[in-house]
Amino acid sequence: MQSDHDVLIIGSGASGGMAAHTLTKLGIKCLMLDAGPAVDFDRHRVLKPVYELPYRGFGRPGRFPHVTQANEFNANVWADEKQNPYTYDPKDPYYWVRIRLIGGKTLMWGRASWRLSDYEFKNKDHDGFGDNWPIEYKDLAAYYDRVEPMFRVAGRKEGFRQLPDGIFLEDASGDSLSVQRFIQSAKRMAVPTTKARRATGQLASSVNLLLPDALTTGNLTIVPNAIVRELTFDKNTGLADGANFVDRRSSQERHVKARVVMVGASALESNRLLLNSGVHNPVLGHYIFDQIYVKNVIQCIVPEARGGKAPRNLMGGGGYIPRFRNLDTKQKNFIRGYSYDFGSGGTPHPSYFPLYGAALQKELAAVAGSGFSMTTMGEVLPRVENFVRINKEVADAWGIPALHIQHRYTENERNMAVDSMHVAEELCHGAGFEVLAKHSQMVPPGESIHELGGCRMGVSAKTSVVNKFNQSHDVKNVFVIDGSSFVSGGSQNPTLTILALAMRASEYLAEEMRKGTV
Amino acid sequence: MHRRTLIQTLLGVSVSGPFRFELAAQEEIPKLALAAADAASEAIPRFLAPAEFAAFRHLGTILMPASEVMPGAAEAEAAEFLDFLLFQSDRETQTLYRRGIEKLQKDAMAQGRKSFVSMTDAEAAPLLAPLQNPWTYEGPAEPYAKFLQAAKLAFWQATLNSRQWATASAGRTRRGAGLDTYWLPIE
Repeated sequence: MQSDHDVLIIGSGASGGMAAHTLTKLGIKCLMLDAGPAVDFDRHRVLKPVYELPYRGFGRPGRFPHVTQANEFNANVWADEKQNPYTYDPKDPYYWVRIRLIGGKTLMWGRASWRLSDYEFKNKDHDGFGDNWPIEYKDLAAYYDRVEPMFRVAGRKEGFRQLPDGIFLEDASGDSLSVQRFIQSAKRMAVPTTKARRATGQLASSVNLLLPDALTTGNLTIVPNAIVRELTFDKNTGLADGANFVDRRSSQERHVKARVVMVGASALESNRLLLNSGVHNPVLGHYIFDQIYVKNVIQCIVPEARGGKAPRNLMGGGGYIPRFRNLDTKQKNFIRGYSYDFGSGGTPHPSYFPLYGAALQKELAAVAGSGFSMTTMGEVLPRVENFVRINKEVADAWGIPALHIQHRYTENERNMAVDSMHVAEELCHGAGFEVLAKHSQMVPPGESIHELGGCRMGVSAKTSVVNKFNQSHDVKNVFVIDGSSFVSGGSQNPTLTILALAMRASEYLAEEMRKGTV
Repeated sequence: MHRRTLIQTLLGVSVSGPFRFELAAQEEIPKLALAAADAASEAIPRFLAPAEFAAFRHLGTILMPASEVMPGAAEAEAAEFLDFLLFQSDRETQTLYRRGIEKLQKDAMAQGRKSFVSMTDAEAAPLLAPLQNPWTYEGPAEPYAKFLQAAKLAFWQATLNSRQWATASAGRTRRGAGLDTYWLPIE
């Protein structure tokens, strides 16, 4: 039995998968622990009609109070909230969305793949708020260049400063007439638009794109159902020497040794692990953030599509509006910016119509396929007062102390959301759409699943947890490689940046191990 | 190993001639045709009392009536299903529905001196007036209006997701009604 490894990788999602992929190819022996089991895609997924489900698609009442993405079809994918509790102040609810399976959230992610720019990396230089990252765009560009082909990202090059281009499968698809009208309306308002940039393929997960290659090297061992309780440390050097974990099924306690530990358990879980391990750092757990979502900030009808009279190619498709606020001009009541997803087609939900019975059915038939909607995604300012800590009164099913999450949006986010509603209305009016409903209500923090921060990068242990290579200031052989290392997040979906950072940190580690400095 | 010997080894018996094929056929375990419970039985309401259930069921027929070709809430046994769902729901949801139905019955008596279940759609319309309020993100704050809005959406979804709706759809569209990828428990 081998219990001594070069590198212990905790977590098998985007960051853990990329670390394994990178390190094993460089000849480094890795052991990966993941809290969940592996999915057998042939055995664990079946096609079913909704009426065969026990709850007709409604799902078992109360099973997922914080996971709005859960439905009865995918309920078995999400982490059980009773087994994995967490707490928050009832005034400030936090929706913590987790997956505990090999592959982590890359099994279910939306695949949107956007680069960050120096508007994020050097945000303090731009508007004076917060802190810059200790890296800039050019430090990460080469890694983005390598990650995008691995994840087969399709998109269109546009030359936007705020949304750098990449190595894409060229998306040369046309736009429907309704989308063309919307794009023209946006042009008149000097609002940029582009195609979505998404990872393609039947599955775009570490399970099929990262881990198989790593296993082929013979340098990776994956242990599922291993819930890491804490890192362990050498009393003489203070360095990490491994981890204690619990077998999820038997609750047997086990220990593993390693020269280096890479933590990629997902942002808040990584914070929890370091806090439970007794890592001392004044800002560990602080500056957590995510991204605001105003889901369906506007819901419209394309009038020409009413009554099933849509001409060919009127409806369908969609796109993306990158950040356009506070680039060259300044908004009065908020800093930073937001982006939108927009989509044409589909039928608006019956809740939008003040009707019932036959009248509602008639209206739904009339507007079938005529919908046009937008969703806002906005930057959340990282603040020291948004933090996580260990709640010693609550533990998970394996006795590991739970996390208490304190996260609150401020006027900056609220004003941004309101602005996005007004702009959306103007854009849709300009396209000749009929506005059915609009609002500016943000979903609770966490619901976007873009949890970030808490182990942020920086140059000093007094103001940050890891250095510019994701290496702990306090324990030199611990690297924190997931979204917890973000200093700011912009409004771009973070997975592509997590992958690029993990690749960069892993190559740095490999070189340091070769030199014998780690 | 000879083919015959291999088969004998796998089956754990000594076989020869035609008997070998008979035995192989017996080893094919047939797949039994089974029926779902809701296709062969009636639900027993457990949450609502009989009078409450009758009113709730009648509300369903008004909110989601059958069309010439598609079933409504009654045909889809949506009230029966929702009673089952409410029985397992949290106290807050249970109270919302129970008090909503109570008010519906009480206001019906006050309005027309007749029970809600005997009202026509037109007679019931004033009682359902809150459903004509414009949409807001938060939804209605007043409990009765909130109940009506919840019931409207619940009857709609329970009907569209029913076996009866799927059967009626089958002859009208090539798309499988409500077909999706189901994730089995992963251990």
